[in-house]
Amino acid sequence: MKVATAGLETTTGPASADAAAVSARGWSRASLERQRLVDRLASFVWLPLVTLLMRVGLRWRIRDAARCRRAYAKLLADPRPLLVVANHLTMVDSAVIGWGLGSGLDHLLRHRGLPWNVPLKRRVDSSRLWQALAYAMKCIPVPRGGDRQEVAHVLERLGYLLRRGDAVLLFPEGGRSRSGRIDCEAAIADGVGRLIRDVEGCRVLCVYARGDAQHTWSNFPARGQTFTIALRLVEPRTALRGPRASRDLATQVVRHLADMEREYFERRPS
Amino acid sequence: MSQNQVFEKVVAILKPYVKDADALASVSLESNILDDLKVNSARLVDVVLAFEDVFGIEVADDDADKVATVGDAVRLIQGKLA
Repeated sequence: MKVATAGLETTTGPASADAAAVSARGWSRASLERQRLVDRLASFVWLPLVTLLMRVGLRWRIRDAARCRRAYAKLLADPRPLLVVANHLTMVDSAVIGWGLGSGLDHLLRHRGLPWNVPLKRRVDSSRLWQALAYAMKCIPVPRGGDRQEVAHVLERLGYLLRRGDAVLLFPEGGRSRSGRIDCEAAIADGVGRLIRDVEGCRVLCVYARGDAQHTWSNFPARGQTFTIALRLVEPRTALRGPRASRDLATQVVRHLADMEREYFERRPS
Repeated sequence: MSQNQVFEKVVAILKPYVKDADALASVSLESNILDDLKVNSARLVDVVLAFEDVFGIEVADDDADKVATVGDAVRLIQGKLA
């Protein structure tokens, strides 16, 4: 695993911002802790099923999964917050990445390592079933393209989870890469930068995941696909403040992902 | 700077990000930046950064989060300039 540090100097944000304001923000620690407990119990049912579906039903494989999982386990041994950011090509990237970072058993034994996911709220709210599944599968729906204050509340929740030691997965491109490649000039979701800025000591694990036959974006990867998952730990820094700092940090992360993509295509199995 | 001057500058800043050109023609203080003008939410940060550059102000995240309409932006900027 390649380790890189970018930027100028450390910027520390309001590390305990979640402390007093949470109840006034429309969510509470208690509600998140309740969801964590439900997720933990429910994972004994859905994690084996999803793993079985990916491995047997869809015959997906992770190239060099053991190496990937060892590296991730080592990162989790460090108590500092860990934000996972990844490229985005299909609707099930979070499942594939979760599987690449740990086996079903790994995640059952070390539940905090299974990253929280941030699906589109509109999709989750489309049915009660989706709502129930999202609740039980470590999801916090985000109103993408909606009220910024609502998005800010989601980021507060994610910040709380990161500080308490849970991994969180975000896609800084905001949506699936329509060109099939990472575009550093495209609109970047600044929430990634905001979390890095506001969660003191936050490490960022950049994950580049791609199936061998994944030429561009799609809903689902093809059956029988083998995925390459590359990891790079970074600790972005900025001397800027406010939204400018968020943008700078998010841009640094996306550039790392773009660099990982370049490396992937240089080594891509033919 | 008068409200009208700030409004015109805000509209000029928004213009490159507006997907609905017709909406821009009838833009008012009540126009919602995301819903009416169809600005990509990820581009709102670019808009806020442009506010900072053009008006020489600093906008905190909490203030930026409260900007939903063109009028919100104008009032925020006028408050910072006062």
